[in-house]
Amino acid sequence: MNILESVEAGFRDMASHKGRAVITVIGIVLGVASVVAVLALMRGGEEQSLAFWEELGGLRELRITNTHLDRLMMTAAEKASERLTYRDAIAIGEECPSVSYVDPEITRWLTVTYGDLTYQMKVLGTTGHYPYADEMPLAEGRFLCDKDAETYANVVAMGPTYKEDLFGDEEAIGSTIILDGVPFTVIGVMEKKEFYFQGEGGRSDRNVLEWFNRSHYIPITTMIKRFTIDDRLGGLEVAARSVELVPTLTEEVRTVLTRRHGVEDFNIDAKTERIQQQAEQMVFFNIIFWSIAFVSLFVGGVVIANIMLASITERVREIGVRKAIGAGDRDMFVQFLVEAVAVTAAGGIVGLFAGLGMVAVVEGILGMPTAVTPAILLIAFLCSVSIGLVFGIFPALRAARLSPIEALRYE
Amino acid sequence: MLISTENLTKSYDLGAATVRALRGVTFGIEEGEYVAIMGPSGSGKSTLMHILGCLDTPTSGRYVLDGSEVSGLKGRELARVRNKKIGFVFQNFNLLPRVDLLSNVALPLVYHGSISRAERARKSSELLSSLGLDHRLRHRPNELSGGERQRAAIARALVNEPAILLADEPTGNLDQKTGREIMSILDDLHSSGRTIIIVTHDSNVAAHARRTVHIEDGRVAHDATNGGATREDATGKTRREETL
Repeated sequence: MNILESVEAGFRDMASHKGRAVITVIGIVLGVASVVAVLALMRGGEEQSLAFWEELGGLRELRITNTHLDRLMMTAAEKASERLTYRDAIAIGEECPSVSYVDPEITRWLTVTYGDLTYQMKVLGTTGHYPYADEMPLAEGRFLCDKDAETYANVVAMGPTYKEDLFGDEEAIGSTIILDGVPFTVIGVMEKKEFYFQGEGGRSDRNVLEWFNRSHYIPITTMIKRFTIDDRLGGLEVAARSVELVPTLTEEVRTVLTRRHGVEDFNIDAKTERIQQQAEQMVFFNIIFWSIAFVSLFVGGVVIANIMLASITERVREIGVRKAIGAGDRDMFVQFLVEAVAVTAAGGIVGLFAGLGMVAVVEGILGMPTAVTPAILLIAFLCSVSIGLVFGIFPALRAARLSPIEALRYE
Repeated sequence: MLISTENLTKSYDLGAATVRALRGVTFGIEEGEYVAIMGPSGSGKSTLMHILGCLDTPTSGRYVLDGSEVSGLKGRELARVRNKKIGFVFQNFNLLPRVDLLSNVALPLVYHGSISRAERARKSSELLSSLGLDHRLRHRPNELSGGERQRAAIARALVNEPAILLADEPTGNLDQKTGREIMSILDDLHSSGRTIIIVTHDSNVAAHARRTVHIEDGRVAHDATNGGATREDATGKTRREETL
């Protein structure tokens, strides 16, 4: 008896018990469908989060911020430190071999006047290498350049939302706006930056990158000269020359800053780490998702085992006859195991389509992001086959071990 | 000597008691013989049939079938012997209900291995035709009369060209007329040289055989060629072997 004939026998048996076959495979169909849906949801979530980080900025950047220190608990060394300064930024640029560019940043809320309009607006002092410059093309005009910083130029690039607030649809380039009493020439307007998360209930209305649109950008040197009492920074971004150099650069920056501060009173965050952290947070959800899929599959498997045991009871005579005319224990084991796998594999294929349907429903009605890859379909299908193997073993062993005499005598 | 048994015993350990179903059976069957095994229920007749049919193994003693010892064989080897050397005919036919006659008859060939599908179909349909079932090849057992089913079962028993045909109450589930039909088929098979063993408690059935072995209380009580002469009187050769 070869495998092909066992498969044929399995399907023939299924075909002669259509009702039973349907009940048998329902569990597997649902299990496989939920595996497909779960994996598609997880994959969709991952892809969305990657897309977000790509939109936010390159992965080769480090963000350096001051550690929060309690004034009352500070050590002498901590008190002596100037914290992050513009001079630190220059030192990093000069001393770290792995650095591509340094972007120090000082943020102030300033009174901005144009014509008879006056607002409190956020102004970022930065350099021509403003970290997001690559990802933030200008709608018009130009961005800050090194020359602006060298000459302490009174020039401003406007965030698109602020530009609308002040100018509406009018041309802004070349106009003069007043920041805290100092006239600045508008040299550029940033392009609007948008990112909406897909969530339950469809695409969110909240533009999570709107804060990018609500900023003015001026040279950091001008910011220090005109609006601050020292060159202390809110934070700075440092980019490595490549993603692989991020860990090296982290160490270089740590060395330089610790030497200059006398104490490690700063944090260095790699975006790659942030993504990793996010993935770690997702692990919890993944475990829940997997548990649900696993329970469905397990229930499907138990149903298979149960119905196969029932079918063996019904077919004791058949097993006896087959053994009497020369079937070995192994032949019976293989026959019943193959039947189980054939049933679950068939259920698995139906389950794949049901799963694709579920994915379409989740995507279309609930609005959650999903992504189906060939690997997902393969994994789900293999799940169904292994369920057949695992849960078919026990019934198949029972069939194999039946004594032919008792099986023939069975009424 | 096609079958020879030597002091076969079979005991079942039931915990509290040990049931001795066979207490030393020694006898032989020549190729081409037509033998009925008779005995009241509980005599050990069925146990003997199971051992002769290689469905069971003796507790002690020797059983040589077609020149090879089978008493020591286990599961898989025993299954091979059943497949190649023995054709079973059962009281209740025991055809597989969900497949047609052709597939039922071909089943022993499937477990025989290395016989092509076409060859199996050819052999099976030939046999079924020779038993007058050529118009029933694609019918399932439940679409047939009892006689037709038993004829199909005989075809299945013969398809692997076994050394012996072992029939257990072959007419037990049939009316008299049909029973006679089946017995005449067995008679014909005997005439064409088959070795046939019938297990029965029906003396009319046993009368078809040329020799009757009576089993009582786990032993051979009486062994005679039909017509009155005891086995010992019939052939001195057999007597010699039996007294070994």
